[in-house]
Amino acid sequence: MASVKLTEVKKVYQGNVVAVHNFNLDIKDKEFIVFVGPSGCGKSTTLRMIAGLEEISEGTVEIDGEVVNDLQPKDRYVSMVFQNYALYPHLTVFENMAFPLRLDRNYRVFPLNEKEREAIQKKIDSGKLNEKQLEEAKEALEKGKRVRGFPQEEIYKRVTNAAEILGITPYLTRKPKALSGGQRQRVAIGRAMVKDCKVFLMDEPLSNLDAKLRNQMRAEIILLRKRIDTTFIYVTHDQTEAMTLGDRIVIMKDGFIMQVGSPTQVFDSPNNLFVAEFIGAPKMNIVSSQLVKEGNKYFVTPFGSKIEVDGDKGAKLLEKGIETRDILLGFRPEHAVLASKPGPNTIKVTLLVNEMMGSELHLHLLTDDNTQLIVRVPTIQLTDKEREEMVAGKELYITFEGKVMHFFDPETEISLLCEENSPSKQNIEALKEAAQVK
Amino acid sequence: MSEEKKNLNPQVASPVSSSDNIGKGKRHMGLKAKTIAGNTIIYVILVAMTVIWLFPFVCILFQSFEVDHTNMTGNILPVKWGFDNYIRLFTSTDFETGGFGRWYVNTLVISLATAVIQTIIVLCMSYTLSRLRFKGRKFLMNFMLVLGMFPGMLTMIILYRVLADLNLIKQNAIPGLILVYVASSGMGYYVSKGFFDTVPKSLDEAARVDGATRAQVLIKVILPLSKPIVIYTLLTAFMGPWGDFVFASYIAFSTSAGMNVAVGLQSLIATPSAMSANYTMFCAGGVLVAIPITVLFLFLQKYYVEGVTGGAVKG
Amino acid sequence: MRRYSDLEYLKLNKLQRFFYKIACFFVGIPGFFKRLGIKIWQFIKKIGLGIANIFVDLFLTFKNGDYKTRISYVLMGFGNMMRGQVGRGILFFVFEVVFILYMVFYGGYWLKMMPSLGLQGPEHIYDPDLDVWITIYHDNSFKILLYSVLSIFFIVAFVYTWRLNIKQNKIAQDILNTSERKELENEKKAQVKEYQLNHDKFVATQDEKAERRSSINKKYDDLVAALDINSRTYKQDKKYIESNRRFELARINKDPKIVAIELEYKDKIDHTGKPLKSGKDDLQSLVDDQFHKTLLALPLIGIIIFTVLPIVFMILVAFTNYNGAENNGYSNNLFHWVGWDNFNTILNWNSGNKAYSAAFGEILGWTLLWAFFATFSNYFLGMVVAIMINKKGIKLKKFWRTVLVLTIAIPQFISLLYVSKMFSDNGMILTFMRDHFHIDPNFSFIGTSANPWVARLTIIIINIWIGIPYLMLIATGILMNIPADLYESAQIDGANVWQQYTKITLPYMLFVTGPYLLTSFIGNMNNFNVIYLLTGGGPTNAAASTAAGSVGYTDLLVTWLFKITTGAGAEYYMASVIGILIFVVVSILSLIVYNIIPSTKNEEDFQ
Repeated sequence: MASVKLTEVKKVYQGNVVAVHNFNLDIKDKEFIVFVGPSGCGKSTTLRMIAGLEEISEGTVEIDGEVVNDLQPKDRYVSMVFQNYALYPHLTVFENMAFPLRLDRNYRVFPLNEKEREAIQKKIDSGKLNEKQLEEAKEALEKGKRVRGFPQEEIYKRVTNAAEILGITPYLTRKPKALSGGQRQRVAIGRAMVKDCKVFLMDEPLSNLDAKLRNQMRAEIILLRKRIDTTFIYVTHDQTEAMTLGDRIVIMKDGFIMQVGSPTQVFDSPNNLFVAEFIGAPKMNIVSSQLVKEGNKYFVTPFGSKIEVDGDKGAKLLEKGIETRDILLGFRPEHAVLASKPGPNTIKVTLLVNEMMGSELHLHLLTDDNTQLIVRVPTIQLTDKEREEMVAGKELYITFEGKVMHFFDPETEISLLCEENSPSKQNIEALKEAAQVK
Repeated sequence: MSEEKKNLNPQVASPVSSSDNIGKGKRHMGLKAKTIAGNTIIYVILVAMTVIWLFPFVCILFQSFEVDHTNMTGNILPVKWGFDNYIRLFTSTDFETGGFGRWYVNTLVISLATAVIQTIIVLCMSYTLSRLRFKGRKFLMNFMLVLGMFPGMLTMIILYRVLADLNLIKQNAIPGLILVYVASSGMGYYVSKGFFDTVPKSLDEAARVDGATRAQVLIKVILPLSKPIVIYTLLTAFMGPWGDFVFASYIAFSTSAGMNVAVGLQSLIATPSAMSANYTMFCAGGVLVAIPITVLFLFLQKYYVEGVTGGAVKG
Repeated sequence: MRRYSDLEYLKLNKLQRFFYKIACFFVGIPGFFKRLGIKIWQFIKKIGLGIANIFVDLFLTFKNGDYKTRISYVLMGFGNMMRGQVGRGILFFVFEVVFILYMVFYGGYWLKMMPSLGLQGPEHIYDPDLDVWITIYHDNSFKILLYSVLSIFFIVAFVYTWRLNIKQNKIAQDILNTSERKELENEKKAQVKEYQLNHDKFVATQDEKAERRSSINKKYDDLVAALDINSRTYKQDKKYIESNRRFELARINKDPKIVAIELEYKDKIDHTGKPLKSGKDDLQSLVDDQFHKTLLALPLIGIIIFTVLPIVFMILVAFTNYNGAENNGYSNNLFHWVGWDNFNTILNWNSGNKAYSAAFGEILGWTLLWAFFATFSNYFLGMVVAIMINKKGIKLKKFWRTVLVLTIAIPQFISLLYVSKMFSDNGMILTFMRDHFHIDPNFSFIGTSANPWVARLTIIIINIWIGIPYLMLIATGILMNIPADLYESAQIDGANVWQQYTKITLPYMLFVTGPYLLTSFIGNMNNFNVIYLLTGGGPTNAAASTAAGSVGYTDLLVTWLFKITTGAGAEYYMASVIGILIFVVVSILSLIVYNIIPSTKNEEDFQ
């Protein structure tokens, strides 16, 4: 139930190894943010800096408007689910979930139950109290009792509630080693749920589960999010998880933010080559090509074809005043189509391998100059005869429309349509520099 | 396509052709026979080892019952059985006041106190070096490594003088010994540290995010999981003083009341004349010392083994 | 010499590779030393820079310090107390007082005597009244040395604490005197001044004061009541409100408008930047981020007093002629510094007493030999036993292990003493052999007339008996960690038992127990118990014994040390020298081994 703001956050390890560079992000209250990227890109480190498990070398982290750099994890009011669950092996499931509640030392006001109410009423009626005590008792009746930490009933209530939501009530008396991976994961989530927390952190929680369980848990996390209406920060290396779960995705590489945006934004307008190839499976096809400007129209010329760049993209290119130049051209496998017959806007390819995926065919194609491409074709689009003829060696023709194209500068790998001042652009350039220094 | 397949596996030579039933059977039995032969040899060796290893202790046991004195010549079985030696240990007035009973109690007190205090100190040290990160940690570890390269005996003299000034020698050797054993025990943190290193760090982190201070993490999370290593440390700390000869003798300085069992028993057979008179008593004393420790050890063997194999290996 | 590329190296056969490796080793030596020299030089530079930095830091802190900081250079704790950290300030101040008192009354004296280690020795004086000779001891060299070392430790501790005090002052000053705060302070002063210029001086009557008092109290009571009890910051807020209340009440004589201005700025200033740590914060951090200090305090104190101090002391003794023997009839005579004389004697630098260096050389040689054989015989045999017991198809595994483990349980001194008696000249074994095998009646294992090498061999074998159970335990533990599919894959590839042992088991074991082998080697070098209890160091080595004590053929450096210490001569100084030399040998060995073995270089190979 809080916003998180990271300003110029940097993490430097001993020996001047920079794990996270100049991380800037504004997370709104109740947003579900996903940090995604390959191993070693700094996403877990950033998460741990927010949690307080790593020291912040530079910059500030604010939770709910308060700078938390110097606060211990227990003072930050965050909850965390770890990749390997980190359940306390010597405690039962109930005790595991109750652990944070038992450690709490804040004062809270709880409503009284019947017995306590009667007891206080009796005391008031007995007339044995002096003025001050009388006032306190009346106040207690009105507002409730002021207690440090959580009383046992409250703990019981919270834990059993959470257990019910997660479906682990039958396991409350078991120890973690008697549970399966998926059940342990739920207990870990339960432990994080029972606290009053401002931010809910998850560090690759699904990585240790098998594929089927992963899909199931993914759906459950989405449901969970509706139940606990709070800010989520989720770290993963799996772009599918990022796309399905996140309100906004932060894509990182080598400690730099590559792009921040909603799943749609990131999918439709990747800022650079890395993001374009990272999101979407199978990877986007990238080929060297030329962008040709003729009058007010733009064309791309991959492998001897000539395809027009129409619509919004063409207009944007015009706005930016882009002239004829070399580019890296990108198009997604699902956006290319098989042409029924060759034409000026088709590319001639030979089929290498045909992967039958069930509802679609993944065709691995080879162009005349030995570039490999992948194209996804829904099975129902082909007749049975055509499907049978899809064997290695067959000649095919593919084409794609202008509005699904992406253009990247061959040297900087930045998208030509990327905004000038976007911070991602600065990061991408900095990343390139750093890579060259090495 | 099919031509390619053939060329990949030019010769598919089967070691045993299916038609040769006799050959198959023979080979099969050959393997088994080899195993049986091998195992028999091993059993023989193991039995021999058992005999060799247990032999001296069986001897001590038997000779402790010998009522006659000098039993050094090859007789193992007592000529005359009796508990004389045991009785004499406790009641003899041959040496200064004290005697075996006193030594035993001394050593017991020392080892109990040492066990408890040393365990606390070692665990503090090894936990800190294993889980907590602070400036100077590497320096501290290297420093103690270097300190450990000095032979321990070197410090004996001055410690003796210091203890003498504090009047903790001779009769009062017990507190002195305890102090010395315990004070520097922090340097023996390696095995415990190795154990703590194997506890996953994410447990610490989960507890800290849940709201525990570092002290609470140690007490509520790590310690309950460390039963094996705690027991191992207690056990080794307890067993240590029973066998310490060098230091105890120096500090006790030939005052019988201040000796521990090691020094005391050694004094029994220190000279040849004493040897001929007290040899069998020495055996009896040895049995009395060995039995409780062995029993304790057998009960806690599981933990000891876990400690040695788990922690010691990392170095 | 040309270095081969990886592929070319693979072409060579075993013999060629062997020679190539040797050649590489020799060619690489100068490079090694050059790199070593560079590393040492960089290290020296780093230390030098560090020290220089410290002085520069001290100078700058003084220059930029306010009066609180500057006074703290002389009166420790002053700055802390003035800035509200009373607890810390008192601690610092008390420590300074204790130190000064100590140095004035005790430390000065000991340090003064340290160069000479005592001027007036003991003397016999005839007391005519009692008609007896009394011994009067004047200066006590031992005490002088001991207490002056203590004083030096104390001085070092004091300097460290003093520097800590300065550092804290600097940090506090930086926190409190940020430019922001300075600006705000100046603004406040300006406003107050302006107000005072435009208004008359304020005087309040008693009634007005009482009225103001009650209105102030009401205002703050309302503020407290309005606080949210459930809020996390309830306590802090309440405390702050109370401090504001006290602030206003204390200025009841001042013009209320001025007080309002001051209050406004107080709020602003208090909320800029970080607060200083209070006493409560300090206590709290002792169980959290400074927990390591809490845990380490007791163990470290023990180690410093009972290990570091004695070792420093003994190192110093090696440069004196301190012995504990009766000296001219005095049990506690003076001793003096003798510089490197003792080292000369033992290492024969200046052809001193040749006996010592000869003895030292011989004993050193045997020590290394013994350590080598003891360690490796136990290691390999222990491993073999572990493999045997662990083999599939062997029953009663637990029984065999328990039998061996039993021998660990029984205190070593009993086993060793008893076994030594068994092997002695009249012992069980020799009697048995004389009776049944008619061996030479003069043959002795470890008695005084035994052949040195027979004795040495005997104790190595007995040591195997002692050591195998430990090694078996360790080896068993490690063996269980080797993944079984390594062996299965090797079997499929056609490896026989021996090959599996040398190519899978052995490398893995050596890798994992590399550090352990080193510690075990060093432990055996210093293995006092086994040698002393088995043979007492004998059989006697007459030639070497002219040096000191009765040196034997099975004596290790440590047993020699012990004999010198507890012997009649009690030449503690020689013992110290030997101790130092042991240290040198051990550290050189460790350094070399640690840098060679793969366990520390390629830590991930087996993970």
